[in-house]
Amino acid sequence: MLISGACVPAISEGLELSVVRVGKSYGATVALEQADINLRAGEVHSLLGENGAGKSTLVRILAGAVVPDCGVMHLHGAPYRPMSITEARDQQVSTAFQELSLVPNLSVAQNLLLPRIPKSVFFISSAAETMRRASSMLARYDLERIDPAIEVSSLPLADRQRLEIVRALENAGRVLILDEPTASLAETDWLFGQIGSATDRGVAVLYISHRLAEVREICQRATVLRNGRTIATVSLKEASNDDIFEMMVGRRDDHVRKHASSALKDAAPRLSVKSLSNGVLVDASFNVRPGEILAVAALEGQGQRSLFRCLAGLEPAKSGSIEIDSREHSISSPRKALKAGSGIAYLPEERKTEGILAGLSAATNIVVPILSTISTARLVGQNAEAEAAGPEGAKVELSERYLSFAIGDLSGGNQQKALIARTLATGARTLLLFDPTRGVDVGTKQAIYSAIRAFAASGGSVLFYSSELPEIVQLADRCMVLYQGKIVETFEGSAIDEQGLVAAMIGHRATARLRAMQ
Amino acid sequence: MTSRSQNTSYIAVPDKRGNAKVSRETISAVSVAVLCVVILLGSRFISPSLGSWSQVETVLTLGSFLVVLSFGQGLVILSGGLDLSLPALITLGGVLSTAWVGAGNPDALFLLPLVLVGCGLVGSFTAVGVVWLKVPPFIMSMATSIMVASATLGMTNGTTRGAAPELLTDLMKSQIAGVPASILLLLAFVFFGWVLQARSVFGRHVYAVGTNDQAARIAGIPVTLTQFLPYVISAVCAGFVGMMLVGYSNGATLRMGDNYLLPSIAAVVIGGSSILGGRGTFLGTVGGAILLTTLGTVISAIGLNFGLRTIIEGSIILIALLVLRDEFFERLRAFRRP
Amino acid sequence: MSKAGVVHPKPSMKSVLLRGSFIIMALYIALYVVYVVQQPRALGAGAIASLFNNTVPLALASAGQAIVVLSRGFDLSLAGVVSITNVVMAVYPLEGPGGALASLAICLAIGAVVGAVNGWLVAYLRIQAIAATLATMIVCQGVALLILDAPGGTVAEWVSYELTDRIFNFIPVSGLILGAVVCLWLLARKTDFGIALYAIGADEHAARLSGIPVLKVRFFAFVLAGMIYGLAGYMLSAQTATGSPTAGEPLLMLSFAAVALGGTSLSGGKGGLFASVMGAATLMLLQKVLFSSGVSSFYTGIFQGAVLIIAVMFSALLTRLGERKNK
Repeated sequence: MLISGACVPAISEGLELSVVRVGKSYGATVALEQADINLRAGEVHSLLGENGAGKSTLVRILAGAVVPDCGVMHLHGAPYRPMSITEARDQQVSTAFQELSLVPNLSVAQNLLLPRIPKSVFFISSAAETMRRASSMLARYDLERIDPAIEVSSLPLADRQRLEIVRALENAGRVLILDEPTASLAETDWLFGQIGSATDRGVAVLYISHRLAEVREICQRATVLRNGRTIATVSLKEASNDDIFEMMVGRRDDHVRKHASSALKDAAPRLSVKSLSNGVLVDASFNVRPGEILAVAALEGQGQRSLFRCLAGLEPAKSGSIEIDSREHSISSPRKALKAGSGIAYLPEERKTEGILAGLSAATNIVVPILSTISTARLVGQNAEAEAAGPEGAKVELSERYLSFAIGDLSGGNQQKALIARTLATGARTLLLFDPTRGVDVGTKQAIYSAIRAFAASGGSVLFYSSELPEIVQLADRCMVLYQGKIVETFEGSAIDEQGLVAAMIGHRATARLRAMQ
Repeated sequence: MTSRSQNTSYIAVPDKRGNAKVSRETISAVSVAVLCVVILLGSRFISPSLGSWSQVETVLTLGSFLVVLSFGQGLVILSGGLDLSLPALITLGGVLSTAWVGAGNPDALFLLPLVLVGCGLVGSFTAVGVVWLKVPPFIMSMATSIMVASATLGMTNGTTRGAAPELLTDLMKSQIAGVPASILLLLAFVFFGWVLQARSVFGRHVYAVGTNDQAARIAGIPVTLTQFLPYVISAVCAGFVGMMLVGYSNGATLRMGDNYLLPSIAAVVIGGSSILGGRGTFLGTVGGAILLTTLGTVISAIGLNFGLRTIIEGSIILIALLVLRDEFFERLRAFRRP
Repeated sequence: MSKAGVVHPKPSMKSVLLRGSFIIMALYIALYVVYVVQQPRALGAGAIASLFNNTVPLALASAGQAIVVLSRGFDLSLAGVVSITNVVMAVYPLEGPGGALASLAICLAIGAVVGAVNGWLVAYLRIQAIAATLATMIVCQGVALLILDAPGGTVAEWVSYELTDRIFNFIPVSGLILGAVVCLWLLARKTDFGIALYAIGADEHAARLSGIPVLKVRFFAFVLAGMIYGLAGYMLSAQTATGSPTAGEPLLMLSFAAVALGGTSLSGGKGGLFASVMGAATLMLLQKVLFSSGVSSFYTGIFQGAVLIIAVMFSALLTRLGERKNK
């Protein structure tokens, strides 16, 4: 049933694209170690893996946006080594990117026809011809309702996603790569219809999505990446969700609760949120007690971002109140959040853009919020930062020798450890952790888990969101599920299990209730 | 199922970053300093009268203007901005201290600091525009520059009068224990600047904000204040440079600041700072300022004309930029690795 | 999904792009009315021609700057190119129409060479535009000083007379040349290059993923801008009839002011060349209006600075409003 991905298959019937032992590193960071994948003509093939497994790097290599360091690729039997997106497209390999490659200030028509805008005379582009071709292209993919003349930036996100897909479909004679094509699409009928007609033409489709149900609906085979390597290629009909999950994560028995809750049941709540509304978030009310680890589970975009950003002082709340230790606080900036009562420290979602201060040392990064307390007369001594950062780093098992390194030079895992150490160093008694283990390796995950547990055991309160359910099962004392901006369900203690969470997350509230009662 | 043993492969990447400890800032600061010494000593071979102690004194005195000025500029650049209003503020500081304070004024000791406060207020005008009104630093400081220059011009009706207060001439011309006071002032300023930028909480905050203001805000740093103050400090420094120039040449002119804007940016860039902010050291900037001044005096002493001198200056900035590219350092490391 | 019935708002690309130039046009016309009321003679052909002659060097310099700014760049080398071309014109005057043409070719070539160096440094060596062009500007200033170390020299008579004259005693030649540049730009904007220029200014990453040769476009943006600076230096020489090694410096800051005044965003991708030309014209007209209002020329700068800050804030406000509407 399993086809090992590591061996080189002979060129067989219908093999459209073969990728053998492809790898890519950026300096000391290995983005993709060794990937193998084979796409057959007329097949929809899924690429699965956790965040940071190397999926997007592999996509970029196939798309021609990144040139691999090693490995061999063949397209329809001929060597394939695109140096640019245009080269890949010339060989009929086309990609719809996750981050969308549409230029916001150009028209729909121009975007669809880039980089080859039709000309009238000399080098002057023909607006009429551009419109005509774009209209016929839109009509071919059932999107006549989109006006080709308007600027892309004025389209809703879902339509931009459709345009990205249309452009890829139009150029994909042999291979079509769709990277999270449904991220902002509410329904899949249109997309799956288009994929169907592409495969009928014999196009090989590589389909990347984190929604397993969707993958099962449209794909025949799946290749699983883990830690930058191809683990296996399986037929989806024969592999169970648990099989796939084990291949993605590496261990099946990981997600069992291992610790007792340290929450103080009788204590007054440390953080009390009352009917908080902002953006997608509607009327959220909950308490976090001292010593408690409260998790938030939700699919993308269900209001969790607004919740965390409000509590951290990054967005003003539309309505509702926040009480810390039974006193109401208005939190208008992260700085105010740190100073509100016993303090709230926030671990941001995007490590690179919101977290690390790349050029500064790891030690400085850890102690940057509390520099004034470790300074004497507002001056920072030669070793003051390292001395103050050391103990906090130790709590997350950050090796002391990394403290003097520029944090930008460290691996993602060590950067994340330093950022967790930063929230611990602030002395705040409430931590807001948004996806605290995103894209880090297994060892780092364990270090972060034990740091969070130790913090709770010492009486601290933790509110965390995670995109990985096993993490919630393992770590949380209580778990709230957000769906369309509302807290639809709260699980407690041993009632937190993955199936129940998933059911609540996709809105099957009733079934989830039933399961919780059983 | 395959390969359960592989799940640690991602961690097992050997750590090759040991030599990252020698930062690019250190390398460039050291190489700039070495270059200064080489140029000074090397000029002896061209003409024996060069490279003497008195020439070093001249370089340091002339260089002190640029050092003070580019400290302010460097701080603004470090915080992610740019200050084009410096020439206008130099002139303002100079004109106010001659025309308003003037020679023989018994209150000079109180009035001169007031001039600096005035410059600081002008700096906070720029800062308000940049920080609260979100006007790009380039445009905002340029507008301030045009407005201040025009106000100065109007105030003086196009001609400057008055002479330098004695306090300033003493500061620039007198000697303490055989060492020119201006050089002692320079040393004190360099120490002060180094402490503020490299060792103070404020300095750390400026680095953080210049690196990534969004991340700095989330980390709880007072971003607004940290972006605001550099413009004020920079304006005060420029005003002070105006005073130093007045003390040195015993008078002010309406164009006295014009030739200092580009060198102030150049010194910062040559000293290894990133023009985008968040990277660089004050000692590097000091080196850059001294290097530019050294070059200027040596070239003019040798008798090269102003045009060649300008070309050489430009080329040195260009070389500094080429050498400071990240790829260059990557290649250097890759070369050393085996 | 319904195929009909979904009607999108229609802020067409043209209206969005023109918005900046509408504002600046309105401002210019208002100023002009004030000017005419104060100085009724300003409507005469001679006065208009002299206004054009004053405006054209800065307008061209701003046009070049706008091209680089659109691609999300900065170009300080403008001052250097204008200075070099000015001293070349003054030190090596070539007489007659043929000489004028040859001089023009030389000026364009100087601009192109400097632009190519900038483009190479910024696009291929990835040096920050502001730092790279600072260096090339200083080198260029040095070259200008080498050619002519103090103000002096005389520009060829044909150039200084004919190019500042009027055709049929009515149409200013300098205005025609400026008009030609604007028209050429309106055509160039429809080429792959023009489209790509806006694209890389708005979102370089998306542009690269869309198959646009980002580096090449950035390189040629600098080359093209350099050539327009060369033309600006040529026209400046015609107007001043003499050479100065620092001729370009006053234009540098004002060119950024003009670009910003025209509503072109310094963060790229939005605005245009025509609006920047109008911005330059407004700055020059403002000086005249203030002068004829009896404001001492010393204080002109205060008004220029204030207008600049207000204009930039205003266009940022409009952009924000526009974005809100789209959501």
